[in-house]
Amino acid sequence: MTQHEELVRRRRPPRTGTIRAGALVRKLVLIALVNGFAMFAMQRELALGETGALVATLVATVAINAVYLSRRVVPLKYLVPGTIFMLLFIVYPVAYTVYISFTNYGTGNLLTKDQAIERLVANSLSTDAGGARFAITPLDDGDGTLSLFMIAEDGGLLLGDESGLSPLAESDVTRDENRLVSVDGRPALNLGQASQRQDELLELVVPADFGEIRVQTLKQATVAAFGLSYDEATDEIVDVTTGTRYLPSDGRYTSTTGDVLTPGFRAVVGPDNYDRVWSNSAIRDPFIRVFAWNFAFALLSVALSMALGLGIALTLHRSGLRGVKFYRSLLIIPYAVPSFLSALVWQGMLNRNFGIINRMLHLDINWLLDPWWARFSVVLVNIWLGFPYMFLVCTGALQSIPSDLMEAAQIDGASASQRFRKVTWPLLLITLAPLLIASFAFNFNNFNTVFLLTGGGPPVPGSQTPAGATDILITYTFRLAFEGGRGQDFGFAAAISVMIFFVVATISAISFRRTKAFENLA
Amino acid sequence: MKRNTWKLLAVLLSLITFAAACGDSSTTSAENNDEPTTTKAPATTTTAAPTTTTEAVLPTLLIWADDTRAPVVQEFGDQFGADNGVNVEVQQVDFGSIRDQLGVAGPAGEGPDIIIGAHDWLGELATNGVVAPIDISGIADQFLPVAVNAMSYDGVTYGLPYSVENIALIRNVDLVPEPVATFAELEQIALDLKAAGTVDVPLAVQEAPGDPFHNYPMFTAAGGVVFGRNADGSYNPDDLGIDSEGGLAAGRQFSEWAKSGLISGDVNYDVMIESFSTGKAPFAITGPWATGSFADAGVNYSVDPFPTVDGGVAAPFVGVQGFMVSAFAENPLLAETFVVDYMGSEDAQVKLFEAGGRPPAHLGAIDVASSDADIQGFAAAGQNGAAMPAIPEMGAVWSAWTDAYSLIFSGEDSDAALTDAATQIRDLIAQG
Repeated sequence: MTQHEELVRRRRPPRTGTIRAGALVRKLVLIALVNGFAMFAMQRELALGETGALVATLVATVAINAVYLSRRVVPLKYLVPGTIFMLLFIVYPVAYTVYISFTNYGTGNLLTKDQAIERLVANSLSTDAGGARFAITPLDDGDGTLSLFMIAEDGGLLLGDESGLSPLAESDVTRDENRLVSVDGRPALNLGQASQRQDELLELVVPADFGEIRVQTLKQATVAAFGLSYDEATDEIVDVTTGTRYLPSDGRYTSTTGDVLTPGFRAVVGPDNYDRVWSNSAIRDPFIRVFAWNFAFALLSVALSMALGLGIALTLHRSGLRGVKFYRSLLIIPYAVPSFLSALVWQGMLNRNFGIINRMLHLDINWLLDPWWARFSVVLVNIWLGFPYMFLVCTGALQSIPSDLMEAAQIDGASASQRFRKVTWPLLLITLAPLLIASFAFNFNNFNTVFLLTGGGPPVPGSQTPAGATDILITYTFRLAFEGGRGQDFGFAAAISVMIFFVVATISAISFRRTKAFENLA
Repeated sequence: MKRNTWKLLAVLLSLITFAAACGDSSTTSAENNDEPTTTKAPATTTTAAPTTTTEAVLPTLLIWADDTRAPVVQEFGDQFGADNGVNVEVQQVDFGSIRDQLGVAGPAGEGPDIIIGAHDWLGELATNGVVAPIDISGIADQFLPVAVNAMSYDGVTYGLPYSVENIALIRNVDLVPEPVATFAELEQIALDLKAAGTVDVPLAVQEAPGDPFHNYPMFTAAGGVVFGRNADGSYNPDDLGIDSEGGLAAGRQFSEWAKSGLISGDVNYDVMIESFSTGKAPFAITGPWATGSFADAGVNYSVDPFPTVDGGVAAPFVGVQGFMVSAFAENPLLAETFVVDYMGSEDAQVKLFEAGGRPPAHLGAIDVASSDADIQGFAAAGQNGAAMPAIPEMGAVWSAWTDAYSLIFSGEDSDAALTDAATQIRDLIAQG
């Protein structure tokens, strides 16, 4: 055996079989864990009656098992996990948002139809204000039924059950000190025991000649009656006393005269939410102004934070400055502090009378409440929040530009600015263009900065809806759907979100095409 | 081929094991729910007595309360639970999010049995159908009428009142020894102190950029009102008072105060607390939630009734907090029993006040609280107050009205600002 052969033999992994078996065991354990989790999830989904989720989980689990146990579909092993997560976290939320945008989901229409019917009937149970009131204790009859030990307001003792009221004597009642033990041989239930039989108690009606007695709490019963009843055959809710019939229409039970019962229920209402944006001038008109500012805000934020980040990156990249690492760490700080906090801190610092900025600089600038200064402040803070990211990315990109290119340019006699414009910048753009577009999309919907700093304000005089000077589409939507109207309007918010999605998608698609950002990936 | 068969077998085996494990637990838990008495719990059954078997599945009453009230309620819950064979669990939920979370968790079957909430949520909660009506007519006469009325919406009672809160004028006794009777007098004193350099903030009212709730006493004293009333005393959302004759007059008064520097849109809650606590504000307008900070800072303060504006009396909004039962409570009867029969008793209400220090709504607890000067002061300031409107349309009112104040503080014409706000509100109400 030559020395070479010896080396090759040593390099070849020995005991091939064991390693493969080890890998197989690891794989099986992992798959078993996935399957176990899936079983658990499916069991929950089954219990909650979520058929769609159940089928989705089942399909995903079968797919994972099939792909990882077969040797024929190697590429899929890399694609399947990503695909499943994409379906779960991107496609599903988008599809759900689109679905919600066609419903009336929101305040007044929160429940499902079945829940709403149940609540309407249950809420209609009304007690007679001056009616008889009894202190009660539920009793166990021993044959699976319940009866009530009742004390009337005049102190009379009664036994109530489905058949009616019967008088009791004090001798029928067994007490242990002050605690009721049993009545007429029927053991008294404590609250915990009674609560476990609440369904029976809720259905128990004790007929009396002055009305029907129903349990109000586990200690009280009164004469009470339902005002509404549900007719399953015709899907109508009927007013028991007047006979008025209510029919479901657009998520509400409505009578022929237009009276509406609350709560309503969730229903698909078609394009109503989209119509509202276009048909209502109070909403539509500020939309254009808000959109223009939104565009400017995102563009300025990206361009200026990019310029600042690149400038600093260039300075630190080329100069023989001492402590470059220290400066770099320092510059990351705005990025490391949660933007939620920094925005609130900035809000305090920019306060006109009490903020540190005006006080230290002896200025009297109305940073947050003058329309143009507020716009300036929002962009300023957003640059402060955004430039460290640009700085990081630019530093990385600069380091990846081969230095011989720069030397060659220098030898050819290119000036510093020519070198930047003709060599550095085009090469940087290859890396940066997709990030800039992503950054634009992010800032287009940068809710935090605007909402926490100015809340969309200051208000614009004469505005028909509460749309402020610094409102961007997403904060305007928030104010319209959650603050401005009657409670929360998820359907309307979803409709505007879908519209914003299309705007951002279009802008991004055009930018990607124009910058040919994906050219080298194709 | 042979290896694949092994793999398949191994996976099937693992699947079956997991299925068996999961299935097992599910069947036992189902048994527990359905037939508590037949549970074959290993150790407990040997001690016989049927009560021990039911102990394992005591019904659990879940209560959502905010951080300041949760410990107090938990104490009552423990007592109630021990006396009646029930588990009471109090979950701490941020007060601001109880309302929204109930709307999500309740219908999904994961919500609480009981919440502690504010009366002005009722419009939304009742419209959504997530709170259940409760019957407190048996004990209603033991509570302040304003509190009982506030807990009903559309003629239906949804809650048991527990505390009644409103804002008042807080005066720094060292800077201003005597109570003031009119806002003109207050303005004079406050601006003099400011001019002398003694104070920074003449009147500390949180605005930033405009706060209709804290401005309401001044707004009403100057002649304004938020909504007109129906015959039964409830607010009429079709009769908006913000741009009425009185509302516009009040707006002009605010304009003057803003120009004289008495109030400013820059003061927020932190500035209000900070300036009054450090003696840099002679007056503040705030509620019982802030006096703790003032006392901690050692300020010598007094809780005063509001001064008048040209004889106009201030009517602050009154907020009522109380217990409400979820429409999706797992134990509705037990929940109502806990709220009405237990928390509704004088004993419980007095103890709640003693433990929590909130201005009480129960007449018996008010007697007990009569020795507390702060609570007396707030009660006196709230005497002319009215419950904050609970109608869902208030969302539109608050945001548009805030904008109007913000514009007034920026020097815009107050008539235009209030008229615009009123137009916005009418539009949004009409849409709903």
